[in-house]
Amino acid sequence: MWTRKRLVRNIDFTLLGLVVLIMVVGLVIIGSATQAQKGNTHYITMQGIWILLGLSAILIVLTIDYTEFYRLSYLLYVLNLLMLLAVLLISEPIQGSQRWLVFGPVRIQPSEIAKIFVILTLAAHLARKRELKSWFDLVPAFIHVSLPMLLILRQPDLGTAMVLLGILMGMLFIAGFPLRRLALLVFGGLALAVGSIWAHLRFGLWLPLKDYQIDRLLVFIDPEGVNPLTTGYHLRQSKIAIGSGGALGKGLFQGTQNNLNFLPEQHTDFIFSVVGEELGFVGACAILLVYLLILWRGMVIAASAKDRYGMLVAAGVVTMIAFQVFVNVGMTVGIMPITGLPLPFVSYGGSSLLTNAIGIGLLLNIYLRRHKIRF
Amino acid sequence: MSSPPGVALRRRILFLFFSTLLAVLVLVMRLAWIQVALGEELRARAEEDRTRSMPVQARRGTIFDRRGRELAISVNVDSVFAVPAEIEDAEATAAKLASTLGMDYGKVLDRLTRRAAFVWIKRQIDPEVAAELQAADLPGIGFTQESRRYYPKGSLASHVLGIAGIDNQGLEGVEVVYDEELRGTPGKIIIEYDARGRELPQAVHRYVPPVDGQSLVLTIDEVIQFITERELEKAVIEHQALRGVAIVMDPRTGEILAMANRPDYDPNHYQDYPVENRRNLAVTDALPPGSTFKPLTVAMAVEEGVASWGDTFHCPGNIVITGVSVSCWKSHGTLDLEGALEQSCNVAMANLALRLGAESFFRYAEAFNLTNRLGIDFPGEGKGSVPTPAQMRPLDLGVMGFGQTLTMTPLQLLSAIAALANDGVLMKPYLVKQLLGPEGEVLQTFSPTPLRQVVSEKTAREVLQAMVAVVEEGTGRNARVEGYTVAGKTGTAQKVVAGGYERGRYLSSFVGIAPASDPRIAVLVMIDEPKGTYYGGQVAAPAVAAIIRDTMRYLDVPPDASTAEERASEEPLVKVPLVINLSVEDATMELRRQGLGVDVRGGGGVVVDQVPPAGAAVVRGTKVVLSTSVRSASPSDNAMVTVPELIGKSMREVAAVLGALGLRLEVVGSGIAVNQYPEAGERVPPATTIRVEFQPPADR
Repeated sequence: MWTRKRLVRNIDFTLLGLVVLIMVVGLVIIGSATQAQKGNTHYITMQGIWILLGLSAILIVLTIDYTEFYRLSYLLYVLNLLMLLAVLLISEPIQGSQRWLVFGPVRIQPSEIAKIFVILTLAAHLARKRELKSWFDLVPAFIHVSLPMLLILRQPDLGTAMVLLGILMGMLFIAGFPLRRLALLVFGGLALAVGSIWAHLRFGLWLPLKDYQIDRLLVFIDPEGVNPLTTGYHLRQSKIAIGSGGALGKGLFQGTQNNLNFLPEQHTDFIFSVVGEELGFVGACAILLVYLLILWRGMVIAASAKDRYGMLVAAGVVTMIAFQVFVNVGMTVGIMPITGLPLPFVSYGGSSLLTNAIGIGLLLNIYLRRHKIRF
Repeated sequence: MSSPPGVALRRRILFLFFSTLLAVLVLVMRLAWIQVALGEELRARAEEDRTRSMPVQARRGTIFDRRGRELAISVNVDSVFAVPAEIEDAEATAAKLASTLGMDYGKVLDRLTRRAAFVWIKRQIDPEVAAELQAADLPGIGFTQESRRYYPKGSLASHVLGIAGIDNQGLEGVEVVYDEELRGTPGKIIIEYDARGRELPQAVHRYVPPVDGQSLVLTIDEVIQFITERELEKAVIEHQALRGVAIVMDPRTGEILAMANRPDYDPNHYQDYPVENRRNLAVTDALPPGSTFKPLTVAMAVEEGVASWGDTFHCPGNIVITGVSVSCWKSHGTLDLEGALEQSCNVAMANLALRLGAESFFRYAEAFNLTNRLGIDFPGEGKGSVPTPAQMRPLDLGVMGFGQTLTMTPLQLLSAIAALANDGVLMKPYLVKQLLGPEGEVLQTFSPTPLRQVVSEKTAREVLQAMVAVVEEGTGRNARVEGYTVAGKTGTAQKVVAGGYERGRYLSSFVGIAPASDPRIAVLVMIDEPKGTYYGGQVAAPAVAAIIRDTMRYLDVPPDASTAEERASEEPLVKVPLVINLSVEDATMELRRQGLGVDVRGGGGVVVDQVPPAGAAVVRGTKVVLSTSVRSASPSDNAMVTVPELIGKSMREVAAVLGALGLRLEVVGSGIAVNQYPEAGERVPPATTIRVEFQPPADR
């Protein structure tokens, strides 16, 4: 049925090339971000391995027809819940959160993979639905996302939970939910969130959030006011680092704020600050441009999918990446709350890289199989 | 399998793409704002974050007296600081510091563990302690040189100098007025650190050198200050007074040459003294001037033409103004204007003030700057109070005429009186003459500032002359100084206590100007609450005289008055009577009756010769040499007189010298002696005529 030749010819090499490019750039930046640390080759080596594993994952995903996931969606959904439950039951807390499943030297973060599971299963759910117009039609979709989201919030991992909400909104939109209602939903939700945080601060309304999480949500509004030595410190240092890069940057490996460890989490969540400091405005814009191109390819793929399921999965992956890029970069420049989301393909970390690679694998998969099978 | 997506959904994908594009644009704009617009500022903050600067204090400028003698200097001493992030073992370090520096362990530990880039442990420590700590080489503990103020002359001029605190900041006196100039700009050593506070091995070490402060040259003269303080102290102790003030001013320029207060303090240890001791009464406190004000009243009256020197005043011992009797300190009878000042007659002064009227009186008070601050370069200058014409009742006006009711600072009083010594021009008093740069170069020179012509030159000179009479013949005799004509005025003010005058509490003062012919200094001494005698002429005048005497000598001011010998020669001459042929007893009696001395030579009972001869005019007290019968024919060798050296002396001096030796003078020409015959060293009989040629000095 499939010849190797045809398979290779239908791969979106533009997307693959862009992803490899951004991953390599990320590797270099991690090298710069960790040069001052002891055994500094550790991070580059590990990230290199993760990149190779990610590329392998893309290939593996490519070999499975994505429509298989449509058929297996219920199984995948249950598997996802079991995995997230396992995290809460088995894992030891690290830095106050239970996020990791430890397999010898390797730690994986199921909440990252959970995003892919949610995309695959939610797409199946929405693809099956004939009607998606009334508020009532949303209830099953919300329940669908809520179960894994609550488990993730329990870890607690506010950032990932928010990504899930973003994915839900993006996919609902692509599934055809009326724009006005969707806008109402988004802004209503935001208003509710803002209102309840305000009520929490003003009247002590109970929220399922810890104080430091609320601080992080608020810090971008009042960077000097909220805990300047802890939460505010991150933001202040990030802005100083990015700002001190100026238009052209201080040069790769030359960032003083990065190298002198003023930047917190400079190889993970705040890696974009290193980009800003060392590569300047020009470099930062170039990175954003690469993301924009990746997202553009993703949307082309969504539009060219042969079926509704493929389009929704592609839309889910695009939303996931777009949401994370925007929130992460927005956080480092102080227009978004500090949520601890990694920058896709660039931040150091295996789970995140693998998850995003699988997402890209899905996009390539959908593109590869965009034509109806002709006999 | 699901159905294929429709066109409508594909359009939504386009919409999603544009939303993404928009979001990225927002990020780009934000980046542009932070990196391009705020870039500079954030770069500076980045540098600030990773560098720490150690302060390097600027050296505070020196304060010199007018002749360049050091009155306040800065010496370098070590101060210990800590960089908490670099401390390795806080407890051990704190223990070592506490024991070496004699500090509390808990306090030191608290500082070492503070979340700060830099904390002082102890400032300005002794060199030995610093050496011991430096030897211990504690990580995170550093030393920096700070300058510490030192006043080498101790309490001398302490009220003028003031004090500077530990942070190099002026707290009082000229130290605070010229603080900005003296302070300089601190420098720093900038060191780059990483986020954990580790000093980077190849980090930027930048040294920004401090700019040392400017130095001051005061108008104060250390020697005159010393003389003034010595005399003030003597007067305060002798009269067991509460406190005392003395000011010496150059009336021609307004320069303050000395300013002293008692009690005083040592600025090196100012904490050990009560705060009141640091008060510079001379400038800050308004006091009733008492009779020292009278020359001003006279000057006003003469200037306004309401009184002339020929006027006479009758003092029955009191004056009744609007029904209230104001008493004079004595019933003076009839006095002329000069006499009224000489005798310090309150009645005459009240009359003068009443003749002037409230408006004129107040106008002059303003002109003499008694209603306003003078603007001396000293902090906390006070000003006196003079009632406005509207507030002045005739009684007030009359009483103000002799210096009661109104108040003024000692500086205001002296400045006003000094105007009379400066041909009527009031000068603004000042304390700082020059500002010097670190290399001693002159940056700024403050020149004398005339404020205004208060009275005419003529009036000023006349009043000054009347003040000379006060010292020569009036209440100020204790202020007479050998060789100089002193103008002065006594003052004995009753202190105002809670609205009334209190008997037994006086403010004794004296103001003096010398030399009156060409005034160089004006001196005011005020003694507050002397015990026992309280007249200004007795309490303050001797101090003023001593200050004038020693200052004139120090300044090498040529005498403008006769010395004792000269004065003697000016006294009325006595005609020597003819005593030849009288018995020695009769001759002696006769000569003594004339006020002459007697020197009998020879053993005879009858006078056979006399020197000077009968009819000669000699000064009172001159010894007349009487030769008696035995050796009358040839005066013995020991009756011979050695001719003195006369060349270079004035005629008056020559006359005095020869007169004292019993020799006669034949004058040729006038001026200074240039030739004499017989010459100096020759022995001649008494009464030999010495021929002396004089020439006017200009001719030579």
